[in-house]
Amino acid sequence: MKSLRVVLLVMLAAAPVLAHHGGAEYDAKTIELSGTVKEFQFTNPHSWIQVDVKDQSGKVVEWSLEWGSPNTLTRQGVHPSAFPVGAKATFKVHPVKTGIPVGAFVAAKFEDGTTVGKWDSPGGSE
Amino acid sequence: MSGIRLAALGVVLVVASGLSYGQNGALTPFDKLPDWTGTWTMIGDTVFDAGTRVGKGNAWTPGVREHPPYNDVYEKKYEEHLALRDVYKFPDTNNFCGIPVNYPRMLNLPDAYEFVVRPDEFYIIAENGENAMRVYTDGRPMPKKEDMWGTYTGVSVGHWEGDTLVFETAGLKGDRDNDAILDRTGAVLSDAAHTTTRVRKINDNTMQFVVTIEDPKALTKPWVVTKQFRKQKPGLFLYDYGCAENNRNPVDKATGEVLTLGSDGKPIQ
Repeated sequence: MKSLRVVLLVMLAAAPVLAHHGGAEYDAKTIELSGTVKEFQFTNPHSWIQVDVKDQSGKVVEWSLEWGSPNTLTRQGVHPSAFPVGAKATFKVHPVKTGIPVGAFVAAKFEDGTTVGKWDSPGGSE
Repeated sequence: MSGIRLAALGVVLVVASGLSYGQNGALTPFDKLPDWTGTWTMIGDTVFDAGTRVGKGNAWTPGVREHPPYNDVYEKKYEEHLALRDVYKFPDTNNFCGIPVNYPRMLNLPDAYEFVVRPDEFYIIAENGENAMRVYTDGRPMPKKEDMWGTYTGVSVGHWEGDTLVFETAGLKGDRDNDAILDRTGAVLSDAAHTTTRVRKINDNTMQFVVTIEDPKALTKPWVVTKQFRKQKPGLFLYDYGCAENNRNPVDKATGEVLTLGSDGKPIQ
């Protein structure tokens, strides 16, 4: 599994990436989620990372994390192997304002410390 | 050859030399065309006219707007769109997945572009959408007004002035069917819009489009907008862009809201 994981440090701004469809309802604040990758939909018009996250009561909630088009992501070094199913990671996201389990993906850090996205950039976790 | 004939030939040559390529029916030789090869991406975000924007954020951010020289009718229409945008009920027509973008929004898209130059035509190929636009540079005239019916990108004919491509675009549908916007603030043009676009590479890594928009139904004076594109590193691949492949942000036609579907295809509650 680890061999599939690509070490990535890409400089991606959330807003332009989501300029096609979503983005209107995303909050500017950043939150952190810890969970397990259920699926990585590397598809147009946007890619989606499905993550199972345990809420405070222990119930598993599936979050949908929206990211850029696979076309743009792949040119920036992000490939379908970036999020192996079953991988555990902490995710930084801009949540939607309505409170549903949807967010704009900012970055992720896997258990071995490798990161995807702009983990250390300004505007990260508050 | 008589003196009169020589004089006449001289006049013809002088007149011909004053014409730009594409205007006199002669194709510009390929080796005289500029090198616009490569992959390009738009500089800045997708607010159509950053020069007149008010408010920080992106086109979907409440408070962000532009100031096209709209007449009262279209200013009112724009303000109505902005008000809907502020409550997330002004859907981007891109979310409809299946209709092309209009011109000049063609120059206001994320993802990658290619600008293909050949003697008889110029192509704008936008990966997002995906969308393509043709500009005829073979000297043909613009169709008669009565022969055009209004399409998303209209009809474009152009000519070369040195390394600058100049083209006219007409036959645009504008906001006739409420499915052509300039950006997500809700700026629109009418079906009377006509544009003149000047394209040139201002340095090795920057392509510039200066678009002069005239619209007797919507604008009180010409609106000049500049869009620039940055050249990307060589060797990149571009891909198809199936908007409907996994569109998890469809528009609820009843409310105008953009939904978010879960991985099961149902709206997330």
